[in-house]
Amino acid sequence: MDWNLLFTSFENILHPSVLLSVLAGVTMGITIGALPGLTATMGVALLIPFTFGKPVTESLAMLLGLYCGGMYGGSISAILIRTPGTPAAAATVLEGYPLGQQGHAGRALSMALFASFCGGTIGALLMTFLSPPISKVALEFSYVEYFSLAVFGLSVIISISGTSILKGVIAGFFGLLISSIGFDPISGYPRYTFGFVELLEGPAFIPTLIGLFALSEFFSGMEKSNGIERIKAVVRAFPPKEDILVSLKNILKSSFIGAFIGAIPGTGGDIAAFVSYGEAKRSSKYPERFGTGVIEGVAATEAANNACSGGAMIPLLSLGVPGDSVTAVILGAFIIQGLQPGPLLYKEHIDVVYNVFASMIVANIVMLFVGIIGIRFFVRVISIDKKILLPVIFVLSMVGSYAMRGNVFDLWLSLIFGLIGFLMQRYGFPLSPILLALILGPMAESNLRRSLVMSNGSWKILVSRPISVILLCAAVLSIGISIWNHKRVAARTK
Amino acid sequence: MKRWALVLCMLLIVGSVLSAGGKAEKFPSKPITAICPWTAGGGTDVLLRALAKETEKFLGQPITVVNTTGGGGAVGHNAIRQAKPDGYTVGMITFELNSLPPQGLIPFTYKDFDPLMRLNVDPPALTVRKDSPFNSLKDFIEYAKAHPGEVSIGNSGPGSVWHIAAGLMAEKTGISVKYMPFDGAAPAVTALVGGHLTAVSVSVAEVRGQVQSGNLKILGVMDTKRSGIFPDVPTFQEQGIDVTFGTWRGLALPKGVDPEKRQILADAFKKGFDSPEFQAFAKNAGLNLAYQDSAAFGEFLAKNAADVELVMQKLGLAKK
Repeated sequence: MDWNLLFTSFENILHPSVLLSVLAGVTMGITIGALPGLTATMGVALLIPFTFGKPVTESLAMLLGLYCGGMYGGSISAILIRTPGTPAAAATVLEGYPLGQQGHAGRALSMALFASFCGGTIGALLMTFLSPPISKVALEFSYVEYFSLAVFGLSVIISISGTSILKGVIAGFFGLLISSIGFDPISGYPRYTFGFVELLEGPAFIPTLIGLFALSEFFSGMEKSNGIERIKAVVRAFPPKEDILVSLKNILKSSFIGAFIGAIPGTGGDIAAFVSYGEAKRSSKYPERFGTGVIEGVAATEAANNACSGGAMIPLLSLGVPGDSVTAVILGAFIIQGLQPGPLLYKEHIDVVYNVFASMIVANIVMLFVGIIGIRFFVRVISIDKKILLPVIFVLSMVGSYAMRGNVFDLWLSLIFGLIGFLMQRYGFPLSPILLALILGPMAESNLRRSLVMSNGSWKILVSRPISVILLCAAVLSIGISIWNHKRVAARTK
Repeated sequence: MKRWALVLCMLLIVGSVLSAGGKAEKFPSKPITAICPWTAGGGTDVLLRALAKETEKFLGQPITVVNTTGGGGAVGHNAIRQAKPDGYTVGMITFELNSLPPQGLIPFTYKDFDPLMRLNVDPPALTVRKDSPFNSLKDFIEYAKAHPGEVSIGNSGPGSVWHIAAGLMAEKTGISVKYMPFDGAAPAVTALVGGHLTAVSVSVAEVRGQVQSGNLKILGVMDTKRSGIFPDVPTFQEQGIDVTFGTWRGLALPKGVDPEKRQILADAFKKGFDSPEFQAFAKNAGLNLAYQDSAAFGEFLAKNAADVELVMQKLGLAKK
């Protein structure tokens, strides 16, 4: 670690014109993140052409600002209107939305911001100081480990099942079934597409997400639109001291989980957030209260998905391998600037590497300030009359569903999943397991298939590697503990 | 006062209608839409956006890139095909337009488009880890022959261009390998860097970074000439294996656009293509530019479609 160079980099980033780029990036990121259907990946992709002619430091600072802001922005709509602005914020809905509905939107929003800031900063610091060793472990992940990681992630379904494990598992399997629509990942044979080319790559994720969460809420809001009282919200920029104290441990733990999951190529903030949520619930003294608005849940998910940004930059910088979908696009931005991330970048452009470190840390601080100013405006959304808010949610959902692929088909897809989500909720089925299965199902399937191709069909390969064995054991343990917790709570309430 | 305002409004409306009528002869008089069948931020998208940005100046109208994606490119190609042939919609067509029909996944072919120009061709390369014992194609093929089914070659998806490339090589040399499809080229390259594959058969541009970083090495390029980025790497033909292959990208219009408008578009995009800014961008991005005009591109498409179908049938990737 070259401290002098690090300080010089901070000087570079704190230069007014660069700082302005960071500010612009963060503000754009928060906006894009908060709007359902527009993700940080898309924001970065759309911004890249505008950075062609700019100096390297400025353009990277702006893109990284957008990345950090986008990760946080998703939580705003998740808490206020139950629509995760980005997939990474889907787990934040679990605790954030109930909190908002109970009149604690200010608390939830300020905790999301605080946890995002802590997580993002811890992720950035890990990236600054531990890139080489972490990236080495990340590369060790072969198909077998990816499969086991996906299984471990899927085991979280039990803990996000709510009151009935059976219904949660049914929802999870329903999600896995849907995730098998589209091209077979190994043979390329189209499955369950019913002749729709739009389904060849499976049902598009963003429209499905928007349908399940936002539109289902729209439908159930319409049903009971008479006589809803307005929800009051207290504006607060910082979470109350008690909230911070009770969440601190979770923020730290989730930041590390998030950064590590982010560092594994091909995984992202969505998985990190769910795994951290499962861990927060498992280690809690009152797991039965999870799902009804527990502030630690918001802290865990938001710390994890923001820490993931720093984590995902680790393999990008030190190996030239992107850690998630956003960094894959950022890799393109590097290349267009004539830079090749990887060992060569460390050798020839170490100044750029340090500027990235400094940018990430500064971006998180800027995000904190923009967020503090923004919260007082965001929070008012929840007090808007439902008669006005619901149509707005509907329009936003439709725009968001269309924006991702520019396909009218996706509007229907979103509506259908809205209806499915509405009915499932009405009969007490949780929705998050479907989502988790949609994220992890394809990862589990394709990597299991690749493992079996490698081993010529022998299943022993799954227990032939140590990391895989640990992950599989963790999955079994996680399921066991969740079921035991559930039984204990059931016995207590009897 | 009110009456005056009304008269003024009427005049303005009539005036604007008249002026619009007068302008109708000049093409283009409104923004152009460019459809990209692949996701924002991907290689095709970045190429199209860079070209659009430079071409706007020569066209005198903004060009809006729209990503219509899904179905392995099928949805976007269909959107181009079905766009109104008024010259205000152009589209990027890619290799998949020739590989989707043999799989029976789309009911149309390159014949349903008016090719405007070819932009680039990227050849695949056989790439292995730097520390692998193979130093030439010969080493690799001899080993694969002695150990059938042991060597694994990663590609960017089942039935994708690089899957076909690996199949073509295996077919020509009579080796039996494991094809390992990934969701795009990047994860395949990552798996190779991590040591979970023997080789990958993706493009030179896609392995460039890892080769320059010293993690990977290229054994051969499936092109008629050596790569501009790695002039030291011999082609397949030089090493005695007569295989050439590549993916391509180009611009096309829906059938039936007025020839004059077509010419205006072709000229403007050619100027954008020749601009120093675009050329510099392509160089940085490691894109192998390979311009062809409308007629040559049309002939190329016909030949490529026939070749691809033949290979896919041999590999069992075609429907019949």
